Amino acid sequence: MDAFLGGLAILTDPYVMLMVLLGTVLGIFVGALPGISGSTTIALLLPLTISMGPIPAICFLGAIYCAANFGGSITAIMVNAPGDPSASATALEGFKMAEKGQAGMALGMSAIASAIGGIFSVVVLIFAAPLLARAAYSFGPPEYFALALFGLSMCAAIGGDSPLKNLIAATLGLLIATVGMDLTTGVERYAFGVMELSDGIGFVPVLIGLFAVGEMLDQAARRAADAKIIALDAARVPGWPEMRKCNRAIWLGSAIGTFIGALPALGATTAALIGYNETRRWSKTPEEFGKGSIEGVAGPEAANNAAVGGSMVPTLALGIPGSATTAIILAGLIVQGVRPGPHLFTEQPTLLYAVFASMLAANVFYLVMGLTMAKFFARISLIPNAFLWPAVFALSVIGAYGPNQSVGDVMVMLVAGVLGFLFRRAGFSPAPLIMGLVLGAMVEETLKQSLIIFGDDLTGFLGRPIALVLMVVTLAGLALPLAGRLLRRKIVPGAAAG
Amino acid sequence: MTVNQVSAALIGLVAVSAFAATWTFDPVPPGLPGLGAVEFPRLLCGLLLALALLLAFEKPKVVAPEDAEPPAPRIDARGWLIFACCLAFLPVMAVIGLLGACAVFLVVVGRLWGETRWFMLLAVAVGFTLSAWLVFIKIFRLTLPDGVVGQMLFGV
Repeated sequence: MDAFLGGLAILTDPYVMLMVLLGTVLGIFVGALPGISGSTTIALLLPLTISMGPIPAICFLGAIYCAANFGGSITAIMVNAPGDPSASATALEGFKMAEKGQAGMALGMSAIASAIGGIFSVVVLIFAAPLLARAAYSFGPPEYFALALFGLSMCAAIGGDSPLKNLIAATLGLLIATVGMDLTTGVERYAFGVMELSDGIGFVPVLIGLFAVGEMLDQAARRAADAKIIALDAARVPGWPEMRKCNRAIWLGSAIGTFIGALPALGATTAALIGYNETRRWSKTPEEFGKGSIEGVAGPEAANNAAVGGSMVPTLALGIPGSATTAIILAGLIVQGVRPGPHLFTEQPTLLYAVFASMLAANVFYLVMGLTMAKFFARISLIPNAFLWPAVFALSVIGAYGPNQSVGDVMVMLVAGVLGFLFRRAGFSPAPLIMGLVLGAMVEETLKQSLIIFGDDLTGFLGRPIALVLMVVTLAGLALPLAGRLLRRKIVPGAAAG
Repeated sequence: MTVNQVSAALIGLVAVSAFAATWTFDPVPPGLPGLGAVEFPRLLCGLLLALALLLAFEKPKVVAPEDAEPPAPRIDARGWLIFACCLAFLPVMAVIGLLGACAVFLVVVGRLWGETRWFMLLAVAVGFTLSAWLVFIKIFRLTLPDGVVGQMLFGV
């Protein structure tokens, strides 16, 4: 308790609070820029933190991490260009809301859900980090494979015209993920001698291409016919009715995000996509999804920000980073002379609780900033299309080129843009493809590792209770809607036609 | 043919091509445990082909007229020109650099999009380019391509 109160006491230190505030502002700003992720910024600013001392440095980095996830949702909502990969699920409903003139509502809900998700995960982290760390530690390759399959099965319900099209897009994403060198055998696949393809297809260019460039091409094609008019009501922020409506989505997303984030290697993007799908599944108004549902913004935003706190569990308690960003934060901790691991809870509890306290403060800061600035950001939707979309394309090129300084990535982005355009025309949703791409490497690697563990015997999964439960849930999730439809056809003849 | 059938045909073609391409992968030494390099992609290609077949025979969903999305409009000449500008971005970038190409793109595509005020187009292009230079080059220290002209002018 003393350590906990000692940790909270840093909130009264003006220098630490200044660092948290600075980290929050920087995080929101870079999160909103496609191609500059929170991890890139933290990596760039890591040398600056060496002279700060451990607590301000970790608080600064933690604040950037928290706020960048929220920042990514701003461009996702306004121009369908997720500033951060974890905001790709937010774009699905957020952009539709912006098109309907509800940009302020979507941005405001994004800020509220993000902050609640972030605060929820930090509170869970404070009380249950050692327990969660032990639970996460019991996940082996078979469990990860089953979890990845569970995530992929959810693609069936994400956007688009039909579950079948979603499954096709997800399989296509898995196939794209196989491009490059196979890590087990060292064999190059689908590289065709092109050096840029040997390392695999980058996640960021595909994401930017599918969402931002695909949308820009679609807007260009519709330009003369029915240019989408954004209403001037764009600056209205959510009130109590919207909060009540999204209550369930926010708590569901927060719980999912905290759990997914606590699993090493599963990040905020997976949490957000699963959060979106579960929000839709449990919503009282699922018919609103795909047309600009505010619950569809709240669920994934709560999930991706809760995953931030969750991913600090394996980072701090086990010394295993839960995401690319926490890997860099881990390096920052080590530079500051802090050894993450189970002993951290006994040896340096004050520092640990100071990190938690700073994350709480960062969440409160960006809630205030998000709600205050939602009206300002919402005005982006009032920019004429003739200026907005060419600028989105130019920013997309910089965003795709930036991370690896590769023209090859820009080409990948253009191809993905054309694919995104064709997807829109044919009624496919790009989100399942992204999910397939994100989970592709994990599905293949964990399947291979599992088969090696089980001696090429697939029945080995039956002896792993967690994996078995996840697989049963996956099968039930795919089979139950089909069975329900067949049953309805039998009970109400002709219902299928409706 | 319906949109679904055209989509299914294209996806089937991708699946068959990707399956055929697995024969070009380098062989792995025999006796390695677990899956090799080709099995997983082949499994995915088979799955993709099966799903494409299902899509080809899927009945179109019956949607109430008020919920139906309006059909996608035909792409007009200016739309095609904007697409061409997107394709031309890379060659132009190779000559005048990324930021130069951004400025030209903003003016040309903005004009094609229907904006007629040249001073506004130029102001937005200059403002965007300067902001991008400040944020990406000066603050985040990214190295963006200079192009042939940039290399001639600045010798970078």
